[in-house]
Amino acid sequence: MADFTLEVKDEGDIVVIETNGYLNNVGGEKISQACYEKMENGKTRFLLDLENSKVVNSIGVSIIIEIIEKLQDVDGRLGYYNLAPIVEKTFNIMGLTKYSTVFGSKSEALEGMS
Amino acid sequence: MEISGSDQLEYYLSSLNELGEILIDADKVEQIGAGVLRLTLGTIMASKGVIFLYKKDTEELSFLAPQGIDKAEPISPPKKFVENMKKYRYGHVVLENMPKWITGKLKKQILESKTKIILPLFHKNHMLGVMCVGNRFMGEEYSSTDVKILEIIAHHLTKALYNYELIRDVEDKKTEINLKLLELETLFDISVAISSVLDTEELGEDVLWRAVGILNASKGMMLLQKKTNPILERSATFNWDEKTSLLSKKLEVFKKIEENNTGVVLTPENKGSLQKKLNEKHLVVAPLKAKNKTQGYMVLCNKETRHGIEAFNQLDLDLLTALCNQAAVAMDNAKLFKEITEAKQFNESILSSIATGVITLDPIGEIDSINLAGTTIMKMEAENIIGNHYMYLFEKDDEILELISSAEIENKIRSEINIPFFTVSKETVINMSVAPRLDPEGNTQGLVIALEDITDVSKVKNTFKRYVSKQVVDELLDDDAKLNLGGEKREVTILFTDIRGFTSMSEKMKPERVVSTLNEYFSQMIDIVFKYNGTLDKIIGDELMIVYGAPIATEDDTERAVTTAVEMQDQIKILNKERKKRKEPPIQFGVGINRGLVVSGNIGSRDMMDYTVIGDTVNLGARLCSAAGPGEILVSDSVWDVTKEKFSYNPLDPINVKGKKDKISVYQIQT
Repeated sequence: MADFTLEVKDEGDIVVIETNGYLNNVGGEKISQACYEKMENGKTRFLLDLENSKVVNSIGVSIIIEIIEKLQDVDGRLGYYNLAPIVEKTFNIMGLTKYSTVFGSKSEALEGMS
Repeated sequence: MEISGSDQLEYYLSSLNELGEILIDADKVEQIGAGVLRLTLGTIMASKGVIFLYKKDTEELSFLAPQGIDKAEPISPPKKFVENMKKYRYGHVVLENMPKWITGKLKKQILESKTKIILPLFHKNHMLGVMCVGNRFMGEEYSSTDVKILEIIAHHLTKALYNYELIRDVEDKKTEINLKLLELETLFDISVAISSVLDTEELGEDVLWRAVGILNASKGMMLLQKKTNPILERSATFNWDEKTSLLSKKLEVFKKIEENNTGVVLTPENKGSLQKKLNEKHLVVAPLKAKNKTQGYMVLCNKETRHGIEAFNQLDLDLLTALCNQAAVAMDNAKLFKEITEAKQFNESILSSIATGVITLDPIGEIDSINLAGTTIMKMEAENIIGNHYMYLFEKDDEILELISSAEIENKIRSEINIPFFTVSKETVINMSVAPRLDPEGNTQGLVIALEDITDVSKVKNTFKRYVSKQVVDELLDDDAKLNLGGEKREVTILFTDIRGFTSMSEKMKPERVVSTLNEYFSQMIDIVFKYNGTLDKIIGDELMIVYGAPIATEDDTERAVTTAVEMQDQIKILNKERKKRKEPPIQFGVGINRGLVVSGNIGSRDMMDYTVIGDTVNLGARLCSAAGPGEILVSDSVWDVTKEKFSYNPLDPINVKGKKDKISVYQIQT
């Protein structure tokens, strides 16, 4: 599997981050860096497309929790779509889904975050 | 302006009220720290101060809230500082001069913040932190009330920090429990996969991914043993460069795992060959073992933390071992399923390629499978056959029902040949064999029916039967090599019969009577021909042409021909007695037999073709027949020569025959 990469796109006020690779320490840091840069520019709503990140570990989860906490400070929101069943299960068990939202598709996510 | 005591009291009370609000409203410990320090310094009129949190595990003081100074890296306080703080845990320390137990970086911070009073924040014997308060505004001395207020605030702050610590502990425990839950869920998912995922590759990848995620590894690989060589096959990898060197099961680490029957944790101290080959320091390796046999290994690398890589521990190995045990069973199941599927496909491909129809019945008599040949013979789609009871499917065929039923009741193989198969059509004829289906323990699990469509063979038989005996037909069908219809020279014996005076006799008879007379005569004569395996070549009017030695030649062809002729003459005497009773004129015929070379084969046009023989031998046979009188059997020299030992002959005067310059020898059978 290749190194973790991501692509950041603005969909109106929503920032969509498409990830590719293992969502671990390295992957999580890259996502948080991308989010914080956008937050400095006033963005508060973020969507993660995790279609190509089939594996996540607890370090990746803890970094996402940090992003959620930072977003709460600015009344922002984080959402996800295209989650592999294992990833969704991990997010549920680790409690992420209490403070962020899992969507079934991109269109549903964009509508839900608007 | 002079501040009265009551104003001062009111000010302190309002501060304490605000303290309550801060402690209630703040969500995070940083908010508590910042809020309390701001309130404290404001209340006692100080500009600088800092609240440190003490972390017991690292024995460090970290900056929770600084005011008037910059936040810096955590400080490791002198041990004596903690001991002294314990002494003053119910009060405070006023720093007139710098005590000896404050040294190093802590001393630097105390000086920078111009700390005047230190308030230990203790919950029972456990130090949670310290609050340092700088000089009072304009260098004024702190009053005893100020100090009391500081102690009250410090007391409330301690409670808040303790509560926060409790909450943090609960959160940590919650995370820990969630991680354990995740581990259990992963084990559960893999156990579910045992019964659902039956592709070994997919299963291996799935288990590897889960193992990497759950153990916070940076990468992993699954290695499988091969029967043929010691190199381990990399069946699945995650985040691992495919180009890493080949790994042999003879490596020390795999031998050790095999010997000790347990996996290993490898740290930089080990410096083993596997670490060298993979160029990695932190590894955990567990065997994939099912039915006490090692199938391969799972190797994970580098346990990730927020602060870098750390060594795997025994708990990690235990978890990986549990995952591997589950995975090995699952993969063994998948492998078994693959083998069974392949065996099933192999059997099905055999069944579908054979010409024999095979139908299987379950224990209650319902059809549960049928091969391609079976559907072809049945002229039905499999979906219209499977699921039906055999009694329904074969309801038109009593003979078949009886056969199946008898195999079912007696639990024995039953076979029948040449059974009409009315389920398909009136013309269809099959051979059928029914056998019990046995499981490995020998219990009957239904029946297997094998059916062979012999309609075409039956047609050939019926057609051939008109020309040759059943025995010859069977012989031909059994051995195609004996049948050469393409044209060849061969030695045969030809027998001709011709009714004497039939034309004049038939002129006095009604046409239908002529036909019935000939049919009766031919029927009895041809039965004799077939009795001696003669081939009925032609019926021309009232004349018969019989061949012995084609299409199948035997040593006694000529003897059988003569025997046929003798028996024919005997039979006509019997028939004539019958005819006499019916007041019908007798039938009398002459017979001519010759032996010699002929050309045999299928002769005729594409639309009308007959197997026959041609040549002089045939013509001479016909001439001898013409020369024979009523009831007389004339044979040629060649016939006489091979049968003179078995039959009695009267040599006759040589006769002239058409197409022959010289007279030919003729012998008459003595009857």
